[in-house]
Amino acid sequence: MAEHHDEHSISYKTYIKTWVWLLVLTAIALGVGYAPINEKLKALLLVGTTLMKILVIAAVFMHLRYERINLILITFAPLILAIVMFAFTFPETLGTATHVLRVR
Amino acid sequence: MDSSIAEQQRILASDWGGGRSPFGTSWSKFMMWIFIVSDALTFAAFLIAYGFMRSISPEWPKQTEVFNMVLITFMTFDLISSSAVMAMAVAAARASNPKRAVQFLALTIVGGLIFLGCQAFEWTHFIEEGATLTHNPWGVPQFAASFFVITGFHGFHVFSGVTILAIVAIRAAMGKYSADGVENAGLYWHFVDVVWVFVFAFYYLL
Repeated sequence: MAEHHDEHSISYKTYIKTWVWLLVLTAIALGVGYAPINEKLKALLLVGTTLMKILVIAAVFMHLRYERINLILITFAPLILAIVMFAFTFPETLGTATHVLRVR
Repeated sequence: MDSSIAEQQRILASDWGGGRSPFGTSWSKFMMWIFIVSDALTFAAFLIAYGFMRSISPEWPKQTEVFNMVLITFMTFDLISSSAVMAMAVAAARASNPKRAVQFLALTIVGGLIFLGCQAFEWTHFIEEGATLTHNPWGVPQFAASFFVITGFHGFHVFSGVTILAIVAIRAAMGKYSADGVENAGLYWHFVDVVWVFVFAFYYLL
């Protein structure tokens, strides 16, 4: 396992291909940003393209797909904590928003 | 008795028996990953706080009208490209080609400097329009506050990244070169790119 890890080397061609994919995803995100669509759908699509981009960067550029599963799992910690923080704060924003509306 | 000796030997032979790396990486790479994960938590907190402020705010300025989106898109392109070149620098370093690695590192540094230049330009423009941490002409104080804090923190990371890459490149050019060192600097640089992907999507486009 350890020997395998040290020997991996991705070719320049793979990096160029990955770079092109990232630019395509950026263009899609830009298109979504300007599209005249519902804000919630826009947020969902932007979360989707962003997660795809970071997965590509992490897997190829940061070589995460060649690492052991325990190291890969560690990198998910911030994402899980972000979801927890969002889950804790978001209901409160709903309350505040209705409060603001009521005051007005 | 026999079974406990067998158990002990099984543990000693496993990854956790000592003398081996349970995560299959060098210690320095593992520490870089731990740093990246903790730093990502900081940015996650910033972005969630921004989301909270934006949700409780009855209105929010239209970013595409306030910012020069051509410049922001160019900055995104620049950072993604420098990340790709950085990956190639790591590959060159792994293939024991320090000369090529230094060339790629130099290109990555140029990408970082271009990004910092664009950001300095953007900040200057934004401040000249009257934005401060507590006030701005678009009426929502949190709009400029989150801009300065989030892009400022990210910009400082880019600046640190350029500094680290410059040190690694100079050392590689002097022959004091280790593929692990280049890879660890690269991991940090890709992380800076990852953060910008989030900022671009959630601060500028959403």
